[in-house]
Amino acid sequence: MDRRALFFLGAAFVCLVLTPLTPTDLRWFALVLAGVYLVLAAASALDNRSRRRQPPRR
Amino acid sequence: MQTLALVVVVALALGFDFVNGFHDAANSIATVVSTRVLSPRFAVAWAAFFNFIAFFVFGTHVANTIANDVVDQSVISIGLIFAALVGAIAWNLITFFLGLPTSSSHALIGGMAGAAVAKAGFGVLVWEGLRTIAVFIVLAPLAGLAASFVLMVIVMWSVHRSKKVEPLNRGFRRMQLVSAGAYSLGHGANDAQKTMGVILALLIATGELGKNAEVPFWVVLSCHAAIALGTLTGGWRIVKTMGSKLTRIKPVGGVCAESAAAAMLFFTSAQGIPVSTTHTITGGIVGVGASQRLAAVRWGVAQRVVWAWVFTIPGAAVMAAASYGILQLF
Repeated sequence: MDRRALFFLGAAFVCLVLTPLTPTDLRWFALVLAGVYLVLAAASALDNRSRRRQPPRR
Repeated sequence: MQTLALVVVVALALGFDFVNGFHDAANSIATVVSTRVLSPRFAVAWAAFFNFIAFFVFGTHVANTIANDVVDQSVISIGLIFAALVGAIAWNLITFFLGLPTSSSHALIGGMAGAAVAKAGFGVLVWEGLRTIAVFIVLAPLAGLAASFVLMVIVMWSVHRSKKVEPLNRGFRRMQLVSAGAYSLGHGANDAQKTMGVILALLIATGELGKNAEVPFWVVLSCHAAIALGTLTGGWRIVKTMGSKLTRIKPVGGVCAESAAAAMLFFTSAQGIPVSTTHTITGGIVGVGASQRLAAVRWGVAQRVVWAWVFTIPGAAVMAAASYGILQLF
């Protein structure tokens, strides 16, 4: 997995850890942010994989 | 005697606002100046204008949070606020000379907490309010980062086939005026209110205002004037760190970073959460760098910035507690 995807995964983990500490009326914010980072991690990993598969340009 | 002490501490609070101006407010114009969209002088005037009108848009929720949700109001006194401000100003000056974009807001909160603990122990801290502030120390830059990354990807996706690079670039340079204005609006809404909160707490503690009083208009005006003067005076060391050392910013990146940070500041100001404008725009700039490739972000500089964040509240708290201790000797 590429470093950017790992970074986004780490950020999602931090948001999830902070969710119970966030005031009840703002918990949705931490959860949505964690979800966004998970999507970004998946997209970044796929992007990295597709770049590796591309044949080198001539 | 009390009136004189009150005037001195209000003047010191405005002095803190002035320091906040040259320490923090420069962030709102860092990307505009570094991409040469505006000259520094015009950028400062642009930022100051939007800083000011923020009061009419967002009210004073953040000021009320600072006045009520950091330390128990019963413990606030002229000496405590004096020590808190001395601690915060000392911390800001140290990090300013080191060129670190730390948060004046968190220095102020750390200062208030440190002086209160020195006066009456940990029992006077409002843990619920402090917990919310602490959580958003982390969430605000992460939200700024994610939002600017997503914005940058959307913008690059929509223009990547265009061959008219120069007109596009010109368009983004013009759009930066709007995004910088929006960011300055958010900056005014969140940052300029913190000193108002301190002065409000002071006026309530000394009986000049009732317990649930609103921020007086003269406080609003003087805080905005002080922060604008501070912005005019300095802050270029931090502009350099933010605008070029962290990652190289182009006009399109400036637009995305500022728009993302502005959205985050609008949200937190409406919720009355005092976040750091510095943290938020740093997250936005890192998001822009990460959208190109992770190596575009200078992680060594980013790491230094993160450590300065971690130490801001305890550092300012220790300095404020020491100031309170010294004050008790006289």
